[in-house]
Amino acid sequence: MKIKAHILIIIFIVSVAGCTKEKKYQYNVNDVTVVQEGGEKNTRKSTTEFISIAYSDLFGTSIPQSKLINLSVAYSSFSDLEVIEERIISNFLNDSAVIIPSAPSVNGDTTEFINNSYRKFFNRTPNELEKHYWKELIRTNSSVTPATIYFAMMTSDEYRFY
Amino acid sequence: MKRRDFLKKTAYATAGAFVAPYILPSGRLFAATGLRRVNHVVFCLYAGGVRNLESIHMNDGNLMPNILNGNLPVASDIAGGMQALPASPLPQTLQTFGTLFKEFRYYEGPTGHYNGHTVALTGNYVATDLNIREHPRNPTIFEYYRKHNSPQQTAMNCWWVANSLGPYPALNYSQSGDYGPIYGANFISPTSLISPQGFDVLGNPHVFPSQEQAAINNIRSFTNGIFNHTYSDGSSGVVNSPADKARLQQFITDMFAQAQNSSFLNSWNAGLSVMNNDMYNILFANEIIKTFTPELLVVNMQDVDVCHFNYTNYANNLRKADYAVAQLWNTIQSTPGMANDTVLIVAPEHGRNFYGNTSVDSFGRRALDHTAPNDPGFTGDPNLQMAREIFCLVVGPPNVVVQNQVINTIMGESTEIVPAIANLLGFDSGIPSGNIKDWSLCQMQAAFI
Repeated sequence: MKIKAHILIIIFIVSVAGCTKEKKYQYNVNDVTVVQEGGEKNTRKSTTEFISIAYSDLFGTSIPQSKLINLSVAYSSFSDLEVIEERIISNFLNDSAVIIPSAPSVNGDTTEFINNSYRKFFNRTPNELEKHYWKELIRTNSSVTPATIYFAMMTSDEYRFY
Repeated sequence: MKRRDFLKKTAYATAGAFVAPYILPSGRLFAATGLRRVNHVVFCLYAGGVRNLESIHMNDGNLMPNILNGNLPVASDIAGGMQALPASPLPQTLQTFGTLFKEFRYYEGPTGHYNGHTVALTGNYVATDLNIREHPRNPTIFEYYRKHNSPQQTAMNCWWVANSLGPYPALNYSQSGDYGPIYGANFISPTSLISPQGFDVLGNPHVFPSQEQAAINNIRSFTNGIFNHTYSDGSSGVVNSPADKARLQQFITDMFAQAQNSSFLNSWNAGLSVMNNDMYNILFANEIIKTFTPELLVVNMQDVDVCHFNYTNYANNLRKADYAVAQLWNTIQSTPGMANDTVLIVAPEHGRNFYGNTSVDSFGRRALDHTAPNDPGFTGDPNLQMAREIFCLVVGPPNVVVQNQVINTIMGESTEIVPAIANLLGFDSGIPSGNIKDWSLCQMQAAFI
């Protein structure tokens, strides 16, 4: 009889405790601004800007005035600017005074190389996708040299805008 | 078959025959917008300001013996200022291969070089001074060709070859919203690009092996895919396909290599001291013709404009330009694909004044400007309008162009050249009405069979 009473008390306590009102949780998401990489760059570099910035990026010094004039004339002499710009960059890269880092090693300074290249040419740091892409490319493609990377980045659309 | 069905089917068949594209014996496919008379047109602006008195009226002898009939010797007082030129590369004078309009006119607007070029390339007079930093307001012949020709062609088929920079690069397309750079021509100023200075900065490119080139394309595709602007939307000018870009790079490389070779620069055996900017411009235009066989090419010369300061040099440069045009036609007729399938149109952009300015050259001749009054109601001294008097020569295959014809009366005007080119290439009916002079109203029709 006594046991029965204890059981009833326990059931009562459990049932009273189990009737606690359920809490309602409301989840909110903080506003996040999603920005496309390089999205703030809307202005195309002028002829002079493109030439002088490219020269500085590759030679670490300002372009001599006579070279700037000759390049500006050549730039204006052909209507397809991509053709001329590729030619300008490839001529710069063939100059013995050009400053190009040694080949990035797969296990060594690859990340540093990628970061530096993005800061130099695109004026920003690469995102995770870009870091992954470049690491994979450098790891798997033996024909990718620093000159190849520099040329590809300097003739890409983002390099032509600021 | 019932009569009604028969008539209906006949009507459909007839309509279909007109609507369906034409397949020509040459194998080319054209939409029914118009039949071509030829597959190539070259327009040479014999520009810089050429006065009819010295050209077709031969006041100082025949200064254009490669183009014009006549054996009049050069006036004795300036003969000492003429440089010797090689014999004509042509079996006969150029005028025998076509129709010469001796009294062509540039009727309206300022008689300035850029105005004249703009009128010739847009088919519309420009009443006011132009902003030389802007592209023309009206569409150019290049845009009409690329937009309305069927099938549509790339810029590789359409070239503007200018002897100088300044405002001239802007003539390869207009500001017109319906046209613009996506229909523009490939522009080149060869004597500016293929020069010692050009070679110094562009003549020694790093050459990437094919595997590296593939990696470059891969990388660019990745980086361009992430970036939100494209460089190829026309905002930066004429854009060629990757394959065409490769051909253009090779062409520039080849031209740099050729230009290192004095035998190329002296291809015409005229002597390097005789070759001037006009002659080099035509020499390079000939290379474009041989390499790309374009359907439409416009090339200009302007060295005669030395006449502002030196009349005798003007006369000498008229002769050089004449010789260069003969070489141009010789190249056209020697190039497979263009020979006997090309019409060449030659015309100055405007003339020069009757009255000289204050400069007198060492031969005692007074220099000439080009400043015709721009008032439409002008009724003063008619000699003041001489800068509006020009000639126009049209040469081509005998089944297309009337041969050995000379028109001495006032006939034709600068704004008829664009309609003529459009008609020759078969796309004139596609051009919106009112944009250019209707071909049916053009007096230049007299040149054609």
